[in-house]
Amino acid sequence: MNTAARTAVRSRFTLSRDVMQAFYRLLGVVLLCAILATLSDVFLTTNNILNVLRQSALLFLMASGLTLVILTAGLDLSIGANVALSACLAASVIKITGSPLLGMATGIGCGAVIGLANGILVTALRIPSFIATYGMMWMLTGVTYYYMAGETIHGFPPEFRQLGSGYLLGVPMPVYVMVLFLLIGGLFAQRTVWGQQIYAIGANPVTARLSGVPVERRLVLVYAVSGAMAGLASLIILARINSAQGDIGEDLTLPAIAAVLVGGTSLFGGSGTVAGTLIGALILTLVLNAMNLLQINSSWQPLVTGVIVLLAVWIDTRARRIGE
Amino acid sequence: MKYLAISVTAVLTALFSGPAFADDETIAVFTKNQTNPYFQAVRVGTETAAKALGVKVIQYVPTKPDSIPEQLSQVEDVIVKKPNAIVFIPVDYKALVPAVEKINAAGIPVTNITDRSAGGNFVAFVGADDYSIGLSVARRLLKAIGGKGNVIILEGVKGSLTSTNRVRGFNDAMKENPDVKLLASQPANFQRLNALQVMENLMQSFPSIDGVLAANDPMAVGAIEALEGANRKALVIGINGSKEAVELIKSGKLLASGDFNGFIQGCIGTEIAVRNLHKQPTPKEVMLKPIVIDKTNFTPYEMPVEQRACPTLEQIVSN
Repeated sequence: MNTAARTAVRSRFTLSRDVMQAFYRLLGVVLLCAILATLSDVFLTTNNILNVLRQSALLFLMASGLTLVILTAGLDLSIGANVALSACLAASVIKITGSPLLGMATGIGCGAVIGLANGILVTALRIPSFIATYGMMWMLTGVTYYYMAGETIHGFPPEFRQLGSGYLLGVPMPVYVMVLFLLIGGLFAQRTVWGQQIYAIGANPVTARLSGVPVERRLVLVYAVSGAMAGLASLIILARINSAQGDIGEDLTLPAIAAVLVGGTSLFGGSGTVAGTLIGALILTLVLNAMNLLQINSSWQPLVTGVIVLLAVWIDTRARRIGE
Repeated sequence: MKYLAISVTAVLTALFSGPAFADDETIAVFTKNQTNPYFQAVRVGTETAAKALGVKVIQYVPTKPDSIPEQLSQVEDVIVKKPNAIVFIPVDYKALVPAVEKINAAGIPVTNITDRSAGGNFVAFVGADDYSIGLSVARRLLKAIGGKGNVIILEGVKGSLTSTNRVRGFNDAMKENPDVKLLASQPANFQRLNALQVMENLMQSFPSIDGVLAANDPMAVGAIEALEGANRKALVIGINGSKEAVELIKSGKLLASGDFNGFIQGCIGTEIAVRNLHKQPTPKEVMLKPIVIDKTNFTPYEMPVEQRACPTLEQIVSN
């Protein structure tokens, strides 16, 4: 138990440092916003701020679950494909039964089951997470294409669409969902024993196991949560675009991973925060928003995206050194 | 007597002409992906034509959409299997040229449809040209807004030939209408979620938007959702004539969609391949005329492709 105590002390120390770094990262976002505000006069309007928050909600939801996976030094490459299958199944259920609630349960349930399967592949079969979730990605994509056969499902009930396009007190609904999961995710990771165990597994799985952490069970949990969050994100997409197509999840996985890493979580595990991931998601969304507002020529957009992402990470590593 | 004559002919046909080509002939069909409804329509077209012509088709589709290496290796597999003919849509019009050359070297006749390959020998090319479709559907929108106002262009994947040509058509239609102002031309990668977000962003900068020219239907749908979400009104057009687009035209949310008619391209490509096998004359090129589907002519497009009948080559060429 002596080791356990030491692990606890160590992770509390890591925490305060993480919080400091999240603060520096936030400064980075403020700086980016200040530059953009001087370039575009609509950038800092309430409408645009709400617009950016609504757009980043989707990326954050996927990336928040993924943060837990990456904290254990794992990776989930199947989230985009998971979003696609969950969205298509949820869309079918809503269309067939007419019940948004059943559809939502299907979406989140499907996502969680896929995550659970990933967890079992990683723990029981001991397949490295990169390969396990890569294989899962292909299987899910195959099932989705087969199921959809190039068709599109569209037109959902207005009460379901509220989830994506509705407002409450002038703030878009996805923003509330984002804040809710920021709080749940943050509290879970920083303030619960299970959360601390996840950090411990990422920092050193051998020590974690020796100090009594049920490593396998926590890993399965982490992948299941990541899957369930992909399922939740799929519902927001459905509600926003009012349709489902087999390729809906394409181009979603890498931005989610980028949001986690730009947000300061280490790919080697054990260090990072859910709040940091929110900042990562904000930066990536801001880049697209700014390029549209400033009407940067489409040929230059990939280059600009690359430069800003690298710049964000560079500022972050500088800030880290100052923080230490 | 008449019945007897017919049945004798039928038996004779079955005995002699049947085995000579019908049953054994297989045609390998290459399309780009399993996700875009357009290619699904192409595949249904090839199958409908094949059934009518009494040949067998085998579909080759990359599991990763538009994957160059995957289509390359599928071509290599097919060369080993030696089908009688190939109907081919390259996932990339330049990168697949060596693959086409390999097919040529193996002596399998190949018909190119939809995207024109930059090289290699083909029996024929069947397509509709992106530029004219972009031009005609954009003209439809510019006329509807009265030749004046503010317009946004949503581009597809940057660098793709399809997007480049469609957008060029849009821009040329704009030039005919000097009172129309192009507010912005931004990429949304042919995806509806991207189009939704790009449109949300652009609406922040532009309080007044009269029209949106989207380079495909999914992006048009994304733009419509964004406009509705912000309680704003603008006329929107797309390209592909997809089932979803036809429904939206019917309900008045989408002004028009340029018809690319994958189904007919599949039909005609297959018919040409079969005619060539039977040493019948074939045209070197068939370009389908651009059709703009709107409120006035959407009814025939409501019928699912699976239930449609293939037009014959004569019908198309004489049109």
